[in-house]
Amino acid sequence: MSGLRTSGPARAGQYLALLAYLVFLAFPFLWLISTAFKPARELASLHPTWIPENPTLGNFRQAFDEQPLLQAAGNSLLAALGAAVVCVVLATPMAYVIARHRGRLSTAATGWVVVSQAFPFVLVIIPLFLILKNLHLINSVIGLVLVYVVWSLPFALWMLVGYVRAVPAELEEAAAVDGAGRLRTLVSVTAPLLAPGIVATALFAFITAWNEFFFALVLLKTPEKQTLPVVLTHFLGAEGVADLGPLAAAAFLATLPSLVVFAVIQKRITGGMLAGAVKS
Amino acid sequence: MRVRTSRRVRTSTRVRALTAAAAALALLLTGCGGDERPSDGTIRLRFQSLAWQKESVDANKELVREWNAAHPDIQVQYVQGSWDSVHDQLLTSFEGGEAPDIIHDASDDLADFAYGGYLADLRGLLPERLRADIPEQSWRTTTFGEGVYGVPFLQEPRVIIANRKILEASGVRIPTPAKPWTWEEFRQVAKDLTATMGKGKHAVAWPLKEPVSVSLNLGLSGGGRLFHRGEDGKVTIRFTDADAVVPGTVRDQINTDASASRTTLGSGGSDTLPGLFGGTYAMVPLGFSYRQQIAQQAPEGFEWTVLPAPAGAGGLAQGVSPQTLSIAEDSPYKKEAARFIDFLLQPRNMVRLAQGDWMLPTGTAALRDPALHTEKDGWATGAALARHLRPAPAQSVRGYPEWKDKVATPAFQEYYSGAIDLAELRGRLVGDGNRVLARYQRN
Repeated sequence: MSGLRTSGPARAGQYLALLAYLVFLAFPFLWLISTAFKPARELASLHPTWIPENPTLGNFRQAFDEQPLLQAAGNSLLAALGAAVVCVVLATPMAYVIARHRGRLSTAATGWVVVSQAFPFVLVIIPLFLILKNLHLINSVIGLVLVYVVWSLPFALWMLVGYVRAVPAELEEAAAVDGAGRLRTLVSVTAPLLAPGIVATALFAFITAWNEFFFALVLLKTPEKQTLPVVLTHFLGAEGVADLGPLAAAAFLATLPSLVVFAVIQKRITGGMLAGAVKS
Repeated sequence: MRVRTSRRVRTSTRVRALTAAAAALALLLTGCGGDERPSDGTIRLRFQSLAWQKESVDANKELVREWNAAHPDIQVQYVQGSWDSVHDQLLTSFEGGEAPDIIHDASDDLADFAYGGYLADLRGLLPERLRADIPEQSWRTTTFGEGVYGVPFLQEPRVIIANRKILEASGVRIPTPAKPWTWEEFRQVAKDLTATMGKGKHAVAWPLKEPVSVSLNLGLSGGGRLFHRGEDGKVTIRFTDADAVVPGTVRDQINTDASASRTTLGSGGSDTLPGLFGGTYAMVPLGFSYRQQIAQQAPEGFEWTVLPAPAGAGGLAQGVSPQTLSIAEDSPYKKEAARFIDFLLQPRNMVRLAQGDWMLPTGTAALRDPALHTEKDGWATGAALARHLRPAPAQSVRGYPEWKDKVATPAFQEYYSGAIDLAELRGRLVGDGNRVLARYQRN
């Protein structure tokens, strides 16, 4: 056990490194919040401050006045929720089969999943566009959900296979010995243990879809269908010029759903992962 | 056997159920969403605009509303695009046959689309009024090969935005479009001004995040042109003494005179504004439309003025890539789209669009509008520069984007930072550059 002990200075160093990492992660977000509440003149100040000297909600008002943010947020939510649900519904049984029934097929499937991650957006966008056009799914949130599912599925599958493998097969065998059928075993034994993995996967699919820009830009034609990341670019001009205040205000609002969703379920993820890990 | 049969039956039932479910899903998906064509005989056009500032978006939307009210049989839908991603988005839309009918873009982005056959040749579609209203040098920015693939309608020269108080206090001669500074004079003025400003301050801040466009466009005033088209139509790069005037002045200001800030070498235009407002810099060369940001963000009491960029052997000439309106080749309603463009670019409407974007119109009638000749916010200075504007060098040269990204940008960055000298810059721009262009001009 003594090998696990850490000396005082080493521990202090660890905390310092952790603090530096947290500051590194938090800095852009805190700056975003600060910018969102600054009036135009403070944004171009030679000596910028963290706390706005004359905080204003004007940027939020302007953002809502100029762009249909609520409508776009609704579209984003629809696309992200749709993608997350479909992704999990498809990936969970697939992951179970790959994890539990090892053979050439599952090895090949896993390999293909890894390879499919290597395709860049630009390679698939035109074929996808043509397929969706033939299905009359251009300019449709359903079409976008399909694309997001296709895009997230390989990684989601990869994640879930890991979670399924972490659930001991002996537990399922024990349930079978106790007389439980395959379905009962899956529902009562495997599913609860897999719940954190499913939630994490859903969260991954949700955030990926919520933040996605390029597919939405290309596939959605009419303003009323556009998602939040696409609408945010309307605050950008040529040569990188931006309407910084309203952009920061809108971007701040756009990050909130991801933060809220994560804050609500993060306890379940870590709690679930640890449940039953140690015999009490 | 019974077991096997029953399994087969169960399997085939399952397969059928799955197939039915898949078919139902496909039908469901096919039935949902998608775009519909109205059957009431009304022609519907989609106009993708890249306007992004409130005044500009409002002006565009208002004009669309006016058109729709006057033309119930040709309705235009306003679609908001974004400068940030327009090229990729258009390319995909063209490939998929879903491009907007009327496309707002910039002339330096059109070459690929024009040569690729995605844009309609506008000769024969546009009325003579519009053709005659826009000067020939502007039409050249959208002419590729034999065809004309866009209507150039807004443009912006590069001007010097200056802190009026610092400038007037120093006693230097204030330049005007009629009597601009020469490049030598500009260098001397910057030196003198820096000496009066105190430690850590510089007369000039060159935002050189995009060094190629600054160097090439302003380079025309020094008499440079860099790209030379031969009789066979092929383009080669030559770097003459005239081409070195502007880059040489900028480099000397940064590295020899210290009259220009070194810290803005990687900055965009907006990044230099806090320094201008705070008195760290007295002058910043910027695009004409930056005036809007300055009017919005300048602290109270900050007095600013718009000066013409210095002149050289080429006079006040400088290159521009105007904003353009094009028509998709796939659009079934090209004539109607051309009528809408003609409406949008009527002189009074062009003025509204120009004011919304804080830019200059290309149309000669619009340029005469008194609203664009006021001293306030430097409109008059810009309007006086309009006749000196030329097509940006090389924007129609195939291979230019690769030359710019792979050869010219790093070469100019190193040159301005002092890492390489003029001979090395010349070697890279010409030697490496011509190899790149040759690949694009083999046939």
